[in-house]
Amino acid sequence: MNSILYAAMAYGLTAVISLAMVGIIVVVNNLMGGNDASGEEVEAD
Amino acid sequence: MEQLIHLFPGIGSFFIDEPLVAFSRLVLIIFGGVLAYYGFKRTLEPLIMVPMGLGMIAINSGVLFLDGGVVGNIILNPLTSDPGSLINIMQVNFLQPIYNFTFSNGLVACLVFMGIGAMSDISFMLMRPWACIIVAIFAEMGTFATLVIGLKFGLPPGEAAAVATIGGADGPMVLFTSLMLAKDLFVPISIIAYLYLSLTYVGYPYLVKLLIPAKYRGIETDFDMGNVSKRKKFVSILVINTLLCLLLPVAAPLIMSFFIGMAIKEAEIEPLHALLENTILYGGTFFLGLLLGVLCDARTILNPKVGILVVLGIVALTISALGAILGGWILYMISKRNFNPVIGIAGVSCMPTTAKIAQKIAMEENPYCMIMPLAMGSSISGLIVSAIAAGVFISTIGMLTP
Repeated sequence: MNSILYAAMAYGLTAVISLAMVGIIVVVNNLMGGNDASGEEVEAD
Repeated sequence: MEQLIHLFPGIGSFFIDEPLVAFSRLVLIIFGGVLAYYGFKRTLEPLIMVPMGLGMIAINSGVLFLDGGVVGNIILNPLTSDPGSLINIMQVNFLQPIYNFTFSNGLVACLVFMGIGAMSDISFMLMRPWACIIVAIFAEMGTFATLVIGLKFGLPPGEAAAVATIGGADGPMVLFTSLMLAKDLFVPISIIAYLYLSLTYVGYPYLVKLLIPAKYRGIETDFDMGNVSKRKKFVSILVINTLLCLLLPVAAPLIMSFFIGMAIKEAEIEPLHALLENTILYGGTFFLGLLLGVLCDARTILNPKVGILVVLGIVALTISALGAILGGWILYMISKRNFNPVIGIAGVSCMPTTAKIAQKIAMEENPYCMIMPLAMGSSISGLIVSAIAAGVFISTIGMLTP
């Protein structure tokens, strides 16, 4: 594989995995409900 | 399909393993999560259950294809392959056992990562997770640009990838990747990485001030200071650890080490937290520095490739900084001025140096500007993205023909 193509593929893969990871974290956090200012959890709507 | 299985062996091996083994792996991953969670909740003994749970997740997620197509993992398999020769090789001089026990297998990088994990707080990242991760992705630009430049300089793919990881600005990661991809050059690459990383504190502020006019440096940025609950942070740590070990089994030892440090911190297991944050981190850093120093003999440094590595190291960190600042500007624009572009530099995960640089520069223009929490979040994201990039390199470098 061409070096530039490989670098673009690897960078893209890194970005996709990173974004997917954050997406899952956001979903998990939303499922677990929000926080009030003191860090105590409140029920999700 | 076969390519996908080899690209993500952690997941792909589920389809190759015998059904009973694959099912057992899945059960053990979940069981590990349950043990760690109930350790965190103090229903079970946290001193044992939290590390045991995370270890169980990593060993069953981080499965890959070893030499000869054998399914295994790099956390245990290579260590048990030839213990006899390991014992023999250690009977030399006083630092030899430390080298064999901690360097040749990447343990020292893992120990330092456990300490860094124990010092990190994932809640900074959870304040504005998308902003933090986008900045961190831009800050990884130097890694991939340097890979191409290294290949143009004539380095073999493994060596080019190893030196390119300097762009991630994370010492243990560079050491780990070098040991995996460029064993012959891991000493000069690691020394160059640590040398340059210590110079970022001097060089990066000039670059930031050059590319961000003064009137933008003191912009105040909104973020939710409401504390994230310990339970949320702990579950987030378990989820990220599992996901990354599944996707990048080659980096599983490093990933597990980082998140085990974080998990112990969030579970408030004070004796282990103190052990990791003080003894393990400082002990590991001490032996890392000492061993790199004694390995740095003239013959190693006179390797003609070292000149190329010196150039590539500075190129990687410079492009990463430029990418990070670009990421900061892009977020400034898409968030309608609600993002200080200076935070971008913290995406270069030289933790906590770049976050301190960002805060210091912002306060020079506006003494009331507080961006440290977001800068720390960006640095933690940068560290995670660096680990992902290293895992991607180690998993896929074979696709690049020398």
